[in-house]
Amino acid sequence: MLRVHDLDAFYDRTQVLHAINLKVDEREIVGLVGANGAGKSSTLLSIVGIKTRTHGEVWLDDERIDHLPAYDRVRRALVLIPERRRLFPFMTVLENLELGAYLPVPRQQRGETLDRVLELLPVLAERRHQVAGSLSGGEQQMCAIGRALMSCPRILMLDEPTEGLAPLYVERLFELVVRLRDSGLTILLVEQNVEHVLEIADRGYVLENGRIVLEDTGRALLQDPRLKTAYLGL
Amino acid sequence: MAVQVTQAGADTKTGVSGWSLSIAPRRGALSVVEVIVLAACIAAALTMTNRHGVDIMIRTFLWAGLALAWNIAGGYVGLISFGHAAFFGIGAYTSTILLLSYGISPGIGLFGGALLAAAAGALLTVVCARLRGPFFILSTLAAGEVTRIAALNWRSLTGGAEGLEIPAISSATDMVFATQWPYVGLVLSYMLLVFALSVWIERSRYGYYLFATRDNEDGASAIGINPGVMRVSAMALSAALTAIGGTLFVQYFLYLDPTHIISPDISFEFALICAIGGLGTASGPVFGALIIVPASELLRGWLSQSASGLYLVLYGLVVILVILYFPSGISGAIARGWAALTKKKTS
Repeated sequence: MLRVHDLDAFYDRTQVLHAINLKVDEREIVGLVGANGAGKSSTLLSIVGIKTRTHGEVWLDDERIDHLPAYDRVRRALVLIPERRRLFPFMTVLENLELGAYLPVPRQQRGETLDRVLELLPVLAERRHQVAGSLSGGEQQMCAIGRALMSCPRILMLDEPTEGLAPLYVERLFELVVRLRDSGLTILLVEQNVEHVLEIADRGYVLENGRIVLEDTGRALLQDPRLKTAYLGL
Repeated sequence: MAVQVTQAGADTKTGVSGWSLSIAPRRGALSVVEVIVLAACIAAALTMTNRHGVDIMIRTFLWAGLALAWNIAGGYVGLISFGHAAFFGIGAYTSTILLLSYGISPGIGLFGGALLAAAAGALLTVVCARLRGPFFILSTLAAGEVTRIAALNWRSLTGGAEGLEIPAISSATDMVFATQWPYVGLVLSYMLLVFALSVWIERSRYGYYLFATRDNEDGASAIGINPGVMRVSAMALSAALTAIGGTLFVQYFLYLDPTHIISPDISFEFALICAIGGLGTASGPVFGALIIVPASELLRGWLSQSASGLYLVLYGLVVILVILYFPSGISGAIARGWAALTKKKTS
């Protein structure tokens, strides 16, 4: 479904990603893990086309999309929930959700999609008229996921969704990710919380200094001693 | 269409359907305060008889409309422009040249000016697409100055420094009137029209996309919004509405020259009125103009004999005080005051 082939990425002249190759199949959770600064967020930003300069290929199904601007990639149902959620803090929850239904097809089905999102994330229904900036961290993350779901994605990419969340919300969030996969969504998940993410991931990639150093099923990676080496530099 | 009186927000499912009326100014809803202020404007327009008072009222309504137009670019999508005088000038010159050279009524000419200004605004935004913050502001200032210098030197078209004069012969087709009342009607309609458009933008999805682009461009891109299209469309709309104001201005004063019409001072004034009234809100530019324009006109009149120029010091002082103590402008101060009052009552 999503294939990344020999992807290099640069911030100005500094190369941050080196020949990244990864694939995400339909209805799969793929975890992307690594230490701080390993290049996890840069990988997602490069796939969706925000900020970084890239060389290499990004394919969605049979279409090459690496030359498209970010908003055109989103139109192909490839949606990123960025790090620190990037909600619009002075807008209400409902307005933030409305923004998600930007694309023509989701706009036509807005009412139904909104009902589904509010059913899936009841906390948003309770807080619908509250400004997003006044929500707790966990509620903001739910709002960011709700907003992404409003655009009817096929592939959802989450960047550090549990960052700064209370343990209760971390549990709820991983449960939600599994439910989304079970409902037919394809998920690429970047996380610091390695154990959690590899437990739910069908497959995983380990990044180190902008390179993929390990690739296997989630469970197998958890047992692999090289994971600790990649993470702690031991 | 259901009308609900709410304090905290419209109880609508999708957030953009149905109208709501709040007490204090709030984005996306018409407020009781705004309705009272606009009703007072209409009442003043119908009852004021003093010639000087009517003159100040015409300038106030016109400047309110122009500041509202500026606010669509500066407040809603974050394109702070110090070059809007160029669009103002394009509107004024286009309709005047069409009238003087081809006998085309300014009622039609204003649409020509609006189209030209929209094209100029769109072009400016496309050319400066990669510029942000102070760099964008400086480029708009430069664009304004280039337009002024071009108008000064293109004598065959604009009359150069001598300017153009519209003959003061009363004619409804030429939009030249012997009394002030038709002008009051024109500028009041202009202000109300741009205000209504601003309220519509605030509560429409288009408005959400503008705010999203302003608040977080990457975030907006990540949900599929094309920030370039949002910026260009908002600037084009803002420029077109400013150009219409330019036509109304020249039809009232019947004279225009580049130094006064395409002056950076005019652009600064649009921005200041919005900053004082409340940037990014529909009511802010109206509140700002209702305070700033009469105050500066009256102060200038009172102090012109004893201490000419002092009015500018006082004007500056008011601006500094408002920006220091009411950073979200008068509109924001009213909303905060009302929120504090209701909170006190509840507790």
